[in-house]
Amino acid sequence: MDSLFILNASGAALLEKHWCDDRAIRRASLVVVPAFARYLASVEAAADAEPMWSGPQGTVCIHIQRQELIYLGIVSREVPPLEVLELLEGVVQALGEYVGRLSELTIKENFVTVYQLLSEMVDSGAMVTTDTAVLRGLVPVPNLVNRVLENVSGIGIGPERRPNVNTSATPWRAQGIRHSTNEFYVDIAERIDAIIAASGAVVAYDVNGEISCKSRLTGMPELVLTLNRPEIMDDVVFHPCVRRRAWDAERTIGFVPPDGPFKLASFHVAMETSPRSLPLHVRAQASRSGGTHTVEIAVDPGQCHGRPIEKLGVRVPLPLQAYNIGVQCKTGAHKVTNARPPQVEWTVKSVRPGDRGLRLSIQYHMHGEAAAAGGAPPAEQQGVAAAFVDFEIAGYSAASIKVDALRLLRESYKPFKGVRYVTKAGSFQVRF
Amino acid sequence: MKKVVANMTMGNDMSPLYREVIACMGVPDLEVKKMVYLFLINYARARAEIASHAAAGFEDDVNDANPLIRAMAIRTMGYIYVERVVEGLIDPLRHCLRDRDPYVRKTAAMAVLKLYMFDRSLVEEERFLDMLKDLLADSNPSVVANAVAALTEVSERSPHIKLKLNMKIAGKLVTALNECNEWGQIYIIEALMYVTPQNSDDAETLIERILPRLQHGNSGVVLACVKIIAYMMNYVAQADVLEPILRKLSPPLVTLLNSGPEVQFITLRNIQLLLQRWPTVLQNQLRAFFCKYDDPIYVKLAKLEVILALTTEENARVVLAELTEYAAEIDVDFVRKAVRSIGRIAIKIELAADRCVRALLDLIQTKVNYVVQEAIVVLRDIFRKYPNRYESTIGALCDNLDTLDEPEARAAMIWIIGQYADRIDNSDRVLGRFLETFLDDPAEVQLALLTAIVKLFIKRPTAGQDLVPKVLKWATESVDSPDIRDRGFIYWRLLSTDPEMARTVVLSEKPEITAEGERLDAPLLEELLLQIGTLSSIHRKLPSTFIPFAKKRVLGASPALTRLTIAPPPVSRLPRCSTVPPGPPAATPGSAPPAADAQPPATARSSSAHPSSTMLDAIGGAGAGQSNPYISDVTPGPMANNDAVLIDLMSMDYDEDPSQGDMAIGSGGMYGFNANFGTSGMNLAGFDVLSAGSGTSAGRSGHAASSGWAIGGGGGGAAPDSQTLNNAFDAAGLDALGSIPTSPPSASWLAGSRSPAAAADLVRQFTPPYEPMASRSAPLSAPAAPGRSMTAPAANGGAQPMAATSASPFGMPLFPQTLSPESSAFGAAHSADYLHSSSAFTTPTSAHPLLGSASGSEFVSAPTTASSGSLLGL
Repeated sequence: MDSLFILNASGAALLEKHWCDDRAIRRASLVVVPAFARYLASVEAAADAEPMWSGPQGTVCIHIQRQELIYLGIVSREVPPLEVLELLEGVVQALGEYVGRLSELTIKENFVTVYQLLSEMVDSGAMVTTDTAVLRGLVPVPNLVNRVLENVSGIGIGPERRPNVNTSATPWRAQGIRHSTNEFYVDIAERIDAIIAASGAVVAYDVNGEISCKSRLTGMPELVLTLNRPEIMDDVVFHPCVRRRAWDAERTIGFVPPDGPFKLASFHVAMETSPRSLPLHVRAQASRSGGTHTVEIAVDPGQCHGRPIEKLGVRVPLPLQAYNIGVQCKTGAHKVTNARPPQVEWTVKSVRPGDRGLRLSIQYHMHGEAAAAGGAPPAEQQGVAAAFVDFEIAGYSAASIKVDALRLLRESYKPFKGVRYVTKAGSFQVRF
Repeated sequence: MKKVVANMTMGNDMSPLYREVIACMGVPDLEVKKMVYLFLINYARARAEIASHAAAGFEDDVNDANPLIRAMAIRTMGYIYVERVVEGLIDPLRHCLRDRDPYVRKTAAMAVLKLYMFDRSLVEEERFLDMLKDLLADSNPSVVANAVAALTEVSERSPHIKLKLNMKIAGKLVTALNECNEWGQIYIIEALMYVTPQNSDDAETLIERILPRLQHGNSGVVLACVKIIAYMMNYVAQADVLEPILRKLSPPLVTLLNSGPEVQFITLRNIQLLLQRWPTVLQNQLRAFFCKYDDPIYVKLAKLEVILALTTEENARVVLAELTEYAAEIDVDFVRKAVRSIGRIAIKIELAADRCVRALLDLIQTKVNYVVQEAIVVLRDIFRKYPNRYESTIGALCDNLDTLDEPEARAAMIWIIGQYADRIDNSDRVLGRFLETFLDDPAEVQLALLTAIVKLFIKRPTAGQDLVPKVLKWATESVDSPDIRDRGFIYWRLLSTDPEMARTVVLSEKPEITAEGERLDAPLLEELLLQIGTLSSIHRKLPSTFIPFAKKRVLGASPALTRLTIAPPPVSRLPRCSTVPPGPPAATPGSAPPAADAQPPATARSSSAHPSSTMLDAIGGAGAGQSNPYISDVTPGPMANNDAVLIDLMSMDYDEDPSQGDMAIGSGGMYGFNANFGTSGMNLAGFDVLSAGSGTSAGRSGHAASSGWAIGGGGGGAAPDSQTLNNAFDAAGLDALGSIPTSPPSASWLAGSRSPAAAADLVRQFTPPYEPMASRSAPLSAPAAPGRSMTAPAANGGAQPMAATSASPFGMPLFPQTLSPESSAFGAAHSADYLHSSSAFTTPTSAHPLLGSASGSEFVSAPTTASSGSLLGL
């Protein structure tokens, strides 16, 4: 990577850091960034901007946008763009931990810290580290946060601390951590990604889960987490602290936890595509009689261990030309947003296992249809295409993964252990 | 200090303060020091006096007791490219590379890279690279990672240093992998690309050890692993070892699809590459690629491509239902591609064809204009693939004649009507209606119409009687396009001299078409697979085409290397026409493996007047089958210079056999070119110019063969074969165009008669009284239109000519144009390579014996003779 820029939403550079020679620096700041700003201005929404944009003079601009700032990496050599994207994500995350909410103002207030961080994260164009635990050993956290952190974590961060360069076997955990109460929490959050056909048949069904933990343990504890059905997880990604060998051999997760909140693992489970397996069933139907279009959506709770489905939300984007929109539902509340395209949102606070007959019905008319009556509908008027469903079920795991045991080794105290499960809708779509 | 730095970053010039700032270097506070360094990086590189002022301060700092300060001083000095500072850097750098603190060592490793960018020779003289190499055995993994990163970067940037790692080092690196952070892992994994396993076991071991790394949260690590595994699989001997590996590759790739759209897109583009090389990867993962309604369009299109590649007989029904769903969506591009994909599935999987055709007919009933047009285009291909099966549907198609306004759809419809002219009652009236707008239509439609009407005439002379003269007259007189004019003349002449011949030529049997999606030719695919995850794999361009001085990546020579073999061109399938007497102006067209789109359509013609034909004879026996299509790959661009030196860094200390040179610009390479040269031959109007240099043309010809296009016949003098020519044309969705038996041309004729004046002559001879069935023989001693180079079927398997070039007198490209910008760039890059390599040789025959020795293996590894000394294993 040649250079990194932090730009504000209009494309003006707030901060630049270079790892290349003078000519490339001049090129980056005088040619590439202005060109990129013009490109940004030329696309309608910043989200539409290509993440990898071929800039002038053989450069490639790789950027991400987070909140109001744009993080732009400029490369002129063959670099895997994923690495740059991941680095930019890492930069955002690290800066966020150091300066709090990232904005034009906070960046300007913390120039020195940001520069120090960037020099440690990238050296000579090569990515060195994005691990905030390591960075904290190298760059002091700005004062106010510093004090807060010290109070919270108990780690003293003096300016003269020796650099922590992976010298210990556990670079993610500092020596001598102390807590008055020892606690360890495990959260298993699953996300259902599904495509449902209009008939209710399941076209695709995947579960992506995340095991996140919060650790407040004294000393150097070692934990062993056992799951009930580790074999169904077909792609498990672990935090670096997890011992791979134990997982490969006996499918247990053994690790020395970092202090504070961290993501222990994420996993993927391919689910069978039988409709019974879903925690709720959705059917959708679109019809037309005369000038009136009708969309009907039916939701029935399925098997989810008697847990209520909460925060049920159904969002139906209507065609651009829809007008005169009428909505009926017996349960829950509904709302019509007159955005382009208009949208109907239906929310039900809680659906109990036995509940039946949750129905939503939408009627609308289409502009311009009278004129084209009888003929083929123009291409843009294809009616509704999909409904998006959102929900949350606490205490339920769609992949039925459970923590069997959590053992603590190497330390003598008894920590408080807690486990929570939650299943949410990820991208849950129903087609018409 | 803080204020100074803040002002500096806001663009205020703070350099006048340098004396005061440098005075602060003595302050023993880390934070102040850091800010001073920031100041220096900013100003010192531009103003030497500041730099020299600070030099003393740096000297103190590099010997500081605090490792953090030592490291920072080294790092900062590396950024200041000022003589004085650089001189002061050399000694401390040497110490720091051996510092007891790992943080200093790893920072120093990167400083070597910076120094290298400033002054290459200095780094080499001071033997810093050797010291870096020693760091590979360091006890601290992040030091190893940085050393590896610096070494690979030096190797990539240097014109003459090439990193090579042996298995011993590779093993150590993989061990360090376990304790590295994600970035260190990426650099180490990338470095494994410089390992060339010498046997299958080595490759398998490395794969085994890398496989667990696939499960990583950083998508960069995952794709780097995929790349190295894909690379190593080239060296695995047994196919049954590959299957489990491929199975393990699938879940991580599917997981990446749950990330943001950018990551998804990059992953999908790379999956497409993997699928072309290893079709069994991602088996049973079809559903992961189903499009979500709110996917960005670029992700949807990329997913469709993957879905198509994953379609098999078993899942065709599911895919078809899914595609029909997509065809009802709103986005026009997506719908079109979905419709096209349905047609491609029909062609790919015979059992599903019925269902696909029914689905397409349903789509036509929707009357959505662009859906109908797209459906007709793909139905044309289905008719081609399954003749005489779906004629009953033509009626439904004809209902939509009036709505067809896109050239491709019009041409497709016209082709269908022409092809089945004898089965459609009113085909003459329909074609007549199309003919009304003939002069306003684009060339593509005109060509189709011209051929369709000739077909109609041959099949139903009475029905076509009125149309043929009209269309021929328009085609030859009122149309500007040389292609259409030429074809008009040929038909005219054919019909007037030998109606039977015309029938054979025009109604010839067409070769089968296949329905692969975007297919890359093997050498390009091979190199792109070595670039998985990088920009070139996404753009489908070689790095050398868009990055100056980028090095080519090649599969290192090794006894264990097994390459993707290219299926030989389907020579036998092309029927030969015995009515054509043998004669020299042989048209040996590039028999296009149909629907292979991204390849340069090398239609080469042989010429008896070829100045180097004697040379060809000497090696003519060696068919294209034997020649190595990878020759092109073995010659790396920048390495082809005679003064290039291969420094094998690793083999100096670690017993590696330096004779295993992994680059070969062998004379064997030249042999390969010439063998192809002989069989495919060339006959282009500008040939004299080219053959003088011979390097370029030979290279190009070799390239033609390497992409599997040139027909490797028995030798240079292949019999002219109008049938073959026809078939090739038809393969491209056009229709028959035959060469006419004539007397042998001479080179002078080629040069002379293709001048505009001569062409005008031809026109005059042709145009006068037209008597369709008269056997008037035109007094022509010269052959008419030796044909034109053909194009490949268009992208996406549709048969659309995209860049027909012509050997006509009207200013012609010397070589057939490639289809897409990517491949054309590729071609250009290659021909440059050829020039380099082949110019190094004088006589190709000297290479002859070499092939004998190398022919056992699949590649030519002969770093000997000819340009000997150009590569040295030190």
